[in-house]
Amino acid sequence: MAVNEADSRLAAALAAEHAAIFGYGVAGARLDGAALDAARAAEAVHRVRRDALLTRLVSAGATAPPAEPAYALPFPVTDAGSALRLAVHLEERTAAVWRHALGGTDGDQRKLALDALVDCAVRATRWRIVAGVSPATVPLP
Amino acid sequence: MRISAEQQTYRRRAVIVTLAGVGAAVASGTAGCGLLDRKPTPPPGPDPLEPLRAQAAALARQYDATIAAIPALATRLTPLRDAHLTHVVELGKLIATAAPSVPAAGASASAAPGTPASALAALRTAELAGQADATAACLSAPAARAGLVGSIAACRATHAAVLA
Repeated sequence: MAVNEADSRLAAALAAEHAAIFGYGVAGARLDGAALDAARAAEAVHRVRRDALLTRLVSAGATAPPAEPAYALPFPVTDAGSALRLAVHLEERTAAVWRHALGGTDGDQRKLALDALVDCAVRATRWRIVAGVSPATVPLP
Repeated sequence: MRISAEQQTYRRRAVIVTLAGVGAAVASGTAGCGLLDRKPTPPPGPDPLEPLRAQAAALARQYDATIAAIPALATRLTPLRDAHLTHVVELGKLIATAAPSVPAAGASASAAPGTPASALAALRTAELAGQADATAACLSAPAARAGLVGSIAACRATHAAVLA
């Protein structure tokens, strides 16, 4: 496995994690109660993964993309309903990037990518349930 | 210098033998290139993903049996059953050999779903076992297969989540 290929896919995952953290800040502002708690918990998980990726990429001497000041939202987030849809979207997007990382990594790095993919997929499912999206699962997250 | 007819014959034979040797070397060299340039021949024995495909088919059958026994669960369980059938199809594209026509073992585990709660618990147990197997398969798969197999592992994890 080419080291550069693994690094570039992990860098893409880092960029996606940055965006997810930003997105949860937006979504959280429109949520309350249990949904807000879930958004905060999800954001914390993405921060942990971001930090682990940063450490890994920097220690490998690879380029670690910084967070952008702001990210374009896929649709206006104006209420709890759109905030929940954004949360689903964030997890789906992050899952897709981690899935892509699987094919460019092996060993510990692939394990990292698979754990992240599974976590994002399960969170997307939980958000779909909260948002009332049915079915709550997709065949190939 | 005179060369006798006998000597000329000997020399021709030597040339022919030499060319034959070159021909053999070229032939074997071509065969070597063919191995590198063409699609590698499939390894002997079943494809490493075959157990995962059989497991996906068995999971689909377990859902079918549960839905047949407890029709009230059909709406909830049908999308999950369909996901496993999608996995069978997608894995088949990678395996590139015909799916076994004889149903694989494992369907008997779904013979007695019992109550809705116990049926859902049995499905969840099967999904978690399937997730573990797909995880192991993903981690040992060649790069070109890791994405699909990892996605199947993630899908099974989401099924376990909605069955909890």
